[in-house]
Amino acid sequence: MKERTIIRFSILIFWTFFWGLSVVDKIIPDVHNLWVGKDFFALFVKFFGSLGLKNPIFAASALAFVSALEGVNFVFYLFALINFSKRKFLEAEKWFFKAVFTSMILFSLFSIADQVFGDRFQLLEHGLFWLILIASWILFKYVSSAEDNTISIKGSKSYKIALFIGFCLTALTSISIVNFSNKTFSNVDSPVSGVEVVDGVYKFNFPFLADKLVLEKTMNTFKKNHSDLKVNYIYTGPSELNSKKKTHMLLYVFTEKTGI
Amino acid sequence: MQKETGIKIPTNDLIKYAILSYWSIFWLFNIVDKFIGGSLFLWVGRDRFAQFQKFFASAGLESPIIADGALVIAAALEVFAFVFFTGALIHFFKKRQDTARSWFFVGIVFTLITFTVFSIGDHVFGDRFELLEHTLFWFLTLFSWIVFVRLKNENMSAEIVIQKRQFIMASIVIVMLVSASSISIFNYNANYFSRRTEAIEAEKVGENIYKVSFPFLGGSTVFEKSIEKFKNSHPIKKINHIYTVPNPLRLKKADGLIFYILTEDRR
Repeated sequence: MKERTIIRFSILIFWTFFWGLSVVDKIIPDVHNLWVGKDFFALFVKFFGSLGLKNPIFAASALAFVSALEGVNFVFYLFALINFSKRKFLEAEKWFFKAVFTSMILFSLFSIADQVFGDRFQLLEHGLFWLILIASWILFKYVSSAEDNTISIKGSKSYKIALFIGFCLTALTSISIVNFSNKTFSNVDSPVSGVEVVDGVYKFNFPFLADKLVLEKTMNTFKKNHSDLKVNYIYTGPSELNSKKKTHMLLYVFTEKTGI
Repeated sequence: MQKETGIKIPTNDLIKYAILSYWSIFWLFNIVDKFIGGSLFLWVGRDRFAQFQKFFASAGLESPIIADGALVIAAALEVFAFVFFTGALIHFFKKRQDTARSWFFVGIVFTLITFTVFSIGDHVFGDRFELLEHTLFWFLTLFSWIVFVRLKNENMSAEIVIQKRQFIMASIVIVMLVSASSISIFNYNANYFSRRTEAIEAEKVGENIYKVSFPFLGGSTVFEKSIEKFKNSHPIKKINHIYTVPNPLRLKKADGLIFYILTEDRR
């Protein structure tokens, strides 16, 4: 296979999945088994509510309109991919252009909405997607066939060495991953031990794996081990106190003696 | 005519070295991150197992085998991307331009597959920020390939040569700027590093309400020491609540962490 064909195929695969899964996300509105997705209905309701349009019909209509455009968009990408797979490159290019153009319209609409609703981060996000779409089109259409090259590394000695090193590194990394998983998976439901950092104030360093069940177990264990203490207040350490950023959570428990 | 000074390496080659080195190092460190797993001395990284475990658990797949399997597949893709990029770098260094291009292309394909798979995962798990991040990396991968292929090997015209006089002038300006910034940094370090550990005085702002304004350097140690200081200086007060001022109430980046201590008198 030629480099140019692989690159074009990669571009089509990426965008087909991108829009296909965006459509699936609209069809499955809530969290389900094997699908989390994003609750766009809630997002749209909040956006329109902030404008003073509290009736959910506005959010539902806008979402239906966006979903329809995304559906059309996805079909264009899918046809481009099918035609490309059948080596009908000209047809594929026509479908891909339609797809890119409708995607750009969609991101332009999103960007307008982001300005109206004052969401500057989403404006940046949609602006970047818009830019990547144009760039994808340019790469797809204008990568000259003169620059094409057939990959010719199979069978060479260095290729065999690379494969060997790759498999060894993968095996080593896999062993390390499984070891780490075995060592840390117990954090999913083990209570965290607190350290008294100030008289009556205990610090709990929660691992990244911990969730609400760990918090409940931790509190129950703490109360059981410190029956002479009354929990007055629990303070979640904000990110500024946390040097490891997203990898763990700090919790402070303020107590006092029960006087028993 | 003025004398010229500098390194005589074609700029195109330097850019190609930069591209190959960037992607080799990018994937090497990703592999190291997976290999280490958690935080160690001199390495924080990201706990990918915990991240994957949480992602799959949110989709109802709580067994660690699923997260392990996904992480192993991701690691394999990253390892092969790294091996082929590094191979390309070695071939390029040995002036085997065509072989380097083929190796680089295989690395690019592994990278594209990796980011496409990650993007699919972002859709499924509803992480829009990571979707943007992975799409940007996907685009950077394509862009790197185009730049690499477009830069012709025979272009020797643009070399990094600059006039001697300008070189001396630039060196003087650089030395002055580096000195000024270094003096400022070390001076700040000598005078203000104590903020990293020093307790902060709580300021009374109302009846049983005290404000603590953190410096940017402050962390959990400062918090704990500040609470201890407050308790020692206000032995008759009982802390009822600590309220952290949310970001919208702060002066953008000018304010560090601010919290209020709400108290009542002990009986």
